[in-house]
Amino acid sequence: MKYLEDNSLIFSRYDLFREQKEERTHRFSHDALLQEVAEHVIHGDDEKIITIVDQALEYKRPEEVIREGLIPGMDEVSRLWGEGIYFLPQVVLSADAMLEGITRCEEKMGRPMEKKGKVITHTAEGDIHDIGQLIVNALLRAAGYEVINLGVDVPVDLVVRSCQQHRPILLGGTALMTTTMTAFPRIAARLKHLNLQIPFVCGGGAVNEDFTAGFDLGIWGKEASWAVGIAEDALQGMTWSQIREKWNG
Amino acid sequence: MQLSKTMAYARAEEMMFGTCLYPVTTRRGMCLGGGEVIPEIVVHPRAGSEKSLKTLLREFERGYNDALERCVSIGHPHVCLEIEHVAQMTQKTEWGEDVAAQTVSLMDRYEERYGIVSGCRFTIADLRKPDMVHMRDSDRSQRVLEAIAACARHADMVAIESIGGKEIFDHAIIRNDVTGLLFAQAVLGGRDMQWLWPQIVAIAERHNCLPSGDTSCAHANTAMFMAGGYHGREIPHTLAAISRAISVSNTLVAYECGATGPGKNCAYENPIIKAITGVPVSCEGKSSACAHSDFCGNAIAAVCDLWSNEAVEYHSMFGGTTAAVFTEMLGYDTALMNTAINLGYEKELQACMVNSDRYRDPQSYILCPDIAWEIGKVVVEHHQSLYSRARAAALKCGELIFGDDKLQLTTYEHDALRHYMADLEKLPADEGNFIDLCLERYARIHGFRRESYGL
Repeated sequence: MKYLEDNSLIFSRYDLFREQKEERTHRFSHDALLQEVAEHVIHGDDEKIITIVDQALEYKRPEEVIREGLIPGMDEVSRLWGEGIYFLPQVVLSADAMLEGITRCEEKMGRPMEKKGKVITHTAEGDIHDIGQLIVNALLRAAGYEVINLGVDVPVDLVVRSCQQHRPILLGGTALMTTTMTAFPRIAARLKHLNLQIPFVCGGGAVNEDFTAGFDLGIWGKEASWAVGIAEDALQGMTWSQIREKWNG
Repeated sequence: MQLSKTMAYARAEEMMFGTCLYPVTTRRGMCLGGGEVIPEIVVHPRAGSEKSLKTLLREFERGYNDALERCVSIGHPHVCLEIEHVAQMTQKTEWGEDVAAQTVSLMDRYEERYGIVSGCRFTIADLRKPDMVHMRDSDRSQRVLEAIAACARHADMVAIESIGGKEIFDHAIIRNDVTGLLFAQAVLGGRDMQWLWPQIVAIAERHNCLPSGDTSCAHANTAMFMAGGYHGREIPHTLAAISRAISVSNTLVAYECGATGPGKNCAYENPIIKAITGVPVSCEGKSSACAHSDFCGNAIAAVCDLWSNEAVEYHSMFGGTTAAVFTEMLGYDTALMNTAINLGYEKELQACMVNSDRYRDPQSYILCPDIAWEIGKVVVEHHQSLYSRARAAALKCGELIFGDDKLQLTTYEHDALRHYMADLEKLPADEGNFIDLCLERYARIHGFRRESYGL
């Protein structure tokens, strides 16, 4: 078969154009051990993180290890992800490493670390495609939220009952199929009826902005990476309509 | 079960769109892979139409009537209708059967009135989410088999997108874990299909229906979707390419169990499957942009026997409904391919298709006929186990990507692929040792139960 020598009139490789050189990571702490804790988070090393956190805990209080090592490390990962330098697997591995480190610090403290707020996530009734939900859960946990994961194919009743019980700051739902996402407005109507004005972020293959704009509480979550930003807004007390106006439309 | 040991095609150059080594004929007499490419239209019902059987039947009737009407309107000689079950159609067997019966009656009506010969494929929804149910012994497994039987009574072809290994796959794909992909796709997915497919074949044969094929939609298409375009930052494109190469090991199992083809449209691995098996395959590329984006819009058509749109939701457009519009587009695409065949220009058209996308991305590169054939060759050479052939395919995929200077990679993609290759090299050669390693490594993954796979 004959092959073209020059493909430039056929397609443009924008990925090569925008390729950026890897940036050096910042310095977070003057303490060498805490700096190392942060770097292990940045590099997503969930095996060695325990060793280095244990070493740090010999000299530092667990709260300090979390505040000056683990969290700054994850903040740096968020920056690298936000600037398009890191890919998702690097973020997930970093989140795994940070959560391992936090678990070790919590054992030392004898109590769980205070979380920013509760978020409930689920995949729509009749739908079993939950990889988007897994990603959202990992990102939210890494950002300090307590995630109540209801799983897949979750009946409307169970979502509503869980919201009544836990009073989350945010509800998340994913659906791949158009024929399953119809559960979302039914959930929203039930929550409204109970006067639970919980912002309800809906995402996944089939969901689009027109659909979520069609019912109160609904916010379109275009990308999994929006989850943390929307949760931060909910935490600051923004209403569902304010969040919708900011992120959609 | 015997794993494939030989290539159906002795040389990649022999593979061509519209023709395969083992064509099949539907019960209405439509020959697939016998010298002509046939459009395969998939219409998806709108949200809300699933609220009752009546509304769902009405939605499907509208969609496929519009498709057939457009064929008649502009003169497409043949068409295949694919109906992908929404969950409710598999959950309630009678819904799936009623839609099948209605579709066949519609096809008969058009044949009687206009002489148009059509075919229909029903793809059952795999309800068996591995972390929710035992894959072999649960109500859901039973319902899937019952739904296949109900549709096979009417349909020309049945298919499925099986999801064995999905629990480990989802964990691994977001962690850059190529070992997990091998375990999920080849070992678990493959074993699940070895359990499922002999039953599908037996059911289909009882009803004079073609047991067409399976796809790695749950795995390699998830990877492709996540890899996204040039600006995507979810997973490396080289990982999606490796996942595609691995998928050959499990998709092939359907044919080793007796599936006849045509391979299912969303199995982008189909060029490799065709090289190994010689069965007809359905492919999708530019005309499936309505459902998802890919890098091989033209190249994937190079060896197709049916040409599909994946799925388009039923809506109105300026030029008619989506069902009609996409049928028209698919039909003109196939008319071009069939014209090339009849003028003797098929090699030239195939060269244009391949050149369009060959160096666009690693994912399109590995699906070009010559590269697909090379990957198929190592698959049959490593026929000792599902794992060994998948690992060989993954290594070959990486070697071919690195081996062609014209295929440019970003530094990140280059480093990621080097890392996967190093991981693959370190893995044990023997499947038993690999399974032991993985059972220990993935034992704690949520929802994984080895007994679902007979391990």
